[in-house]
Amino acid sequence: MIRKFKLTIPIDQTIQAELLLLLGQQPSHGYELIQRLNEAAFKTGEADPATVYRNLRRMDKDGLIRSHWEVGESGPGRRLYELIPQGLEALKVWSAYLAEQKAKLENFLRSYSQFDESLSKLDEGGDKQ
Amino acid sequence: MMGDKKSLKIIHAGALQRVVEDCLEILIKQNTGLNVEIKGAGSREGAKRLLSGEHYDVIVLADQALFAELLVPDLVGNYFIFAADQLVIGYDRTSRGSKTITEDNWVDTLLNPHVDFARSDHHLDPCGYRTLMVWQLAEKFYGRSGLYEALEGACIPYSLHPKSLDLAKALFTGKVDYAFLYSSEAKQLGLPYIVLPSKINLSNPAHANFYDQAAVTVESKIPGKNIIMHGKPIEFAIGISRDSLNPELARSFVDILTGPEGSSILEECGLIPC
Repeated sequence: MIRKFKLTIPIDQTIQAELLLLLGQQPSHGYELIQRLNEAAFKTGEADPATVYRNLRRMDKDGLIRSHWEVGESGPGRRLYELIPQGLEALKVWSAYLAEQKAKLENFLRSYSQFDESLSKLDEGGDKQ
Repeated sequence: MMGDKKSLKIIHAGALQRVVEDCLEILIKQNTGLNVEIKGAGSREGAKRLLSGEHYDVIVLADQALFAELLVPDLVGNYFIFAADQLVIGYDRTSRGSKTITEDNWVDTLLNPHVDFARSDHHLDPCGYRTLMVWQLAEKFYGRSGLYEALEGACIPYSLHPKSLDLAKALFTGKVDYAFLYSSEAKQLGLPYIVLPSKINLSNPAHANFYDQAAVTVESKIPGKNIIMHGKPIEFAIGISRDSLNPELARSFVDILTGPEGSSILEECGLIPC
């Protein structure tokens, strides 16, 4: 039986980093952030509005971002979020953490590649006998 | 003296009754002796009541697009989007097919001739035209030609349960097996419900372009004329009437609903605070 394993990082774990980065690039309201997140090269899945808004509120409460109501000149008023210095610091911590995870994954893949090669050699040796 | 008492009149989407009542409770605690009058209505109907000359200080609608279409700039200045939601299929444990219905087979369950399902009136209630949009999008999403017409033909007449809250009552009393509702309504009423794919349930701004392909004709503000509504992510909005007699009180109510206390109330009621 062939089994396929799919390695995914749950979106909830990195969504705060993704939102902080998007807000660093440009202050946005939630509606726009969901659209930008969905178009981002680093998206890890479909952005669920409830998850996005919940994380925005949490980061607002934790002092990583700040928000205010932006009155639309012709359209509706929406809550606009922007990155503040504490959020920028958090984004740097996230970035360092993800770099560390990337290095670990690369080490794992290197080790796996060596292991896989050794298995192939063993197979070749077995075939010769 | 009654004449000295401050008062506030609010008209709101029926689906937002508990939200409005809970926010008012906070406002009344801050303003002893405040007189409040609230009126629940289908949001299109509610907006048209203002157009016909009825007076309200605060307007809370289930579709933000209605402000631009019907009320801004003459009757309302600014309006604010405060919550999002999605359309679901609510049912009762005694509904026919309730043991086997899933996100994958809901179409066939509803089209079973022994099953009754309902939607609200699209001329009065955004939940009604949003349901028609969901059916149009479902036809595209599932690649089932003729699905929209089949669902429209099989649905019981919308005039029987014109507002989405009427549908909930019909579910409880067993008059219908399934009804298209906001997920917040189903949660508040403790009804089980089927979550539809995000590409058709009007929940996600990421699919705004896909939703836009759905279009429903409804009666416009000019009697005898129609207007086409296009699909959009579901967003609820609040505004203050330009002729409010108590604009400060109205502003206080808006501040509660759009502030931290309002966010907690919205979450408790199953909505997504924006």
